[in-house]
Amino acid sequence: MSAAGSIHPRERRLSLLVTVLAFALPVIFVLVPLAIFLVYSFFSVDQGTIVYTPTLGNYVRFFTDPIFLPVFWNTIVLCVSVAVICILLAYPAAYFLTTLKGRWRYALLMLLLVPLLMSYVIKIYAIRSILGLNGFLNKALVALGILQQPSNLFVFNMNAILLTLSLLLIPFAILPIFLSLERIPQTLLRASDDLGASGWQTFLRITLPLSLPGVASAASFVFVLAIGDFLTPQMVGGISGFTFGRILYSQFGTAYNWPFGAALSVALAIVVICAILVGERFGRNRGTSI
Amino acid sequence: MGLKKAFLRLATIGLGIGLMTSAALAANLRVLAWDGYADPDWVKDFTATTGIGVDVVFIGSDDEIWAKIKGSEGQDFDVFAVNTAQLQRYIKADLVSPIDITKLPNQKDVLPRFRDLSQVSGDTKDGKVYGIPFCFDSIGLIYDTDKVKPAPTSMSVLWDPAYKGKILAYDNGEHNFSFTALTLGYKDPFNLNAEQMAAVKAKLVELKRNVLSFYTTADEAQQIYQNNDVALIWANYGQQQVKALQKIGAHVAYVNPSEGALAWLDNWVISKGVRDNAAAEKWIDFMLTKKVSGALSERTGFGNTVVESSSAGGNDKLVWLNNVEDPLKRSDLWNEIKATP
Repeated sequence: MSAAGSIHPRERRLSLLVTVLAFALPVIFVLVPLAIFLVYSFFSVDQGTIVYTPTLGNYVRFFTDPIFLPVFWNTIVLCVSVAVICILLAYPAAYFLTTLKGRWRYALLMLLLVPLLMSYVIKIYAIRSILGLNGFLNKALVALGILQQPSNLFVFNMNAILLTLSLLLIPFAILPIFLSLERIPQTLLRASDDLGASGWQTFLRITLPLSLPGVASAASFVFVLAIGDFLTPQMVGGISGFTFGRILYSQFGTAYNWPFGAALSVALAIVVICAILVGERFGRNRGTSI
Repeated sequence: MGLKKAFLRLATIGLGIGLMTSAALAANLRVLAWDGYADPDWVKDFTATTGIGVDVVFIGSDDEIWAKIKGSEGQDFDVFAVNTAQLQRYIKADLVSPIDITKLPNQKDVLPRFRDLSQVSGDTKDGKVYGIPFCFDSIGLIYDTDKVKPAPTSMSVLWDPAYKGKILAYDNGEHNFSFTALTLGYKDPFNLNAEQMAAVKAKLVELKRNVLSFYTTADEAQQIYQNNDVALIWANYGQQQVKALQKIGAHVAYVNPSEGALAWLDNWVISKGVRDNAAAEKWIDFMLTKKVSGALSERTGFGNTVVESSSAGGNDKLVWLNNVEDPLKRSDLWNEIKATP
């Protein structure tokens, strides 16, 4: 307290300025654009020009038109699946990393994150040539004798989107899980060992519960990134992999219906915000209970 | 004193030079065109034969042309290039001048389909000619000559179950409705009534079930072709796409369907604010010489209106793209088609 009393007025003004700036940036760059979006979603379009009279028409259309809700639901299911796959693959990888000692641990972690340095589009192109009917995956499966002939199972459909998104987003799952695993005090594990628990028991009753916050944030990260993506479905989804992101994208591109696009974005934003809240709340509860 | 005099003289000379160049600029023909429509060697030839200087400004999109022409009410340019679908908008906004074809001797020798301009939809209004066709390309069908036998003649091959999962179509509602309407035999594919719209939609749902994927860029189509078993491609990018595929060794050929191929057509038009109408007419006439038009096709791969090119044979039926009745409606229906399981 005595330290606070000795602050000069000038310093106080400076700290006030910093505080205002700290709040102003998110307001200007996050809240204001979101508010503009929200406002636009109540407008409509007539003959290619936007009509600035408030209407609920866009939302009514979203809930009543038979095409939007099913696609919306399918997209959510798809993205939950992507999150689950990413967690299942990322957890063992992250766990393995924490068992490594010293320099190796971080060197390997960096290697796993290297794909993030590559352009997103280039990665999709690369994956697409792997997934094609004459692609690497099919050729490999046929050469190994696993398949008799190239399969259509993962060529331009929902499976292709699922595979591609999982592959692209795994780094985002590894990092939070790794961090939460690393934070678990070694003393707890040793105490468990001293008390006679087997390695498996220690994992199930100490490591796993304490790492769940990381799993929760990883899942919400992956889900949010997956549901906002339109490029991957557009490029590998073909005719059956039609997702909500693609509908949204078309409203801003070819259809030139920004208000309806904004309304669809609001629906998407609500789901995203819910996912973040759930991830954050679940993560924090567990985190503070240590 | 001496210094002041010298300075004054310098200023006078400077002013004189300034006036001379601005006078020269005033006489220059101001051309607004797509890259490839006014190559430097043509401009040089034109100036050498007519004595008219030319200033060229290149544009990158339809919207940019509109912004430049509308922004100055046509005062900033004498001649510009615009496609038939866009031209009517300029006529309506009174931004272009009618063209007297008797002043364009070369227009008499163009390919038959461009001779009677009243037959080129979009180029005329109330009997007056506003656009002179210059460059075009069709949106035909690319087929793999090893896989598709006999050679297709109609877009209806895209619905053939024999090629299920081996077809690439283009991801655009407007064009897909238009070409399907042509395949169904409708007269005006750009103005469909409710009944026709429903029929086209049902037909497109069938098409969707027969295709491998919908592409958006030429590169994308090429990559999919290389990694999959593709037999037919609806070629939104026409000749450029065919040539790119042939370059990578693909055995492909190109055909304009017998029911008519959609095609874009760029025209030279004279702006409302033209300063020297005769100079503008000379420019257009010069563009219609065999030399320039032939070079255009050689350099860009697009079709021209004077010399036969691979974009279209003499008997191919081409349907010039036009504005559609309701782009929003078509785009919404296209989403519905894509969402249909």
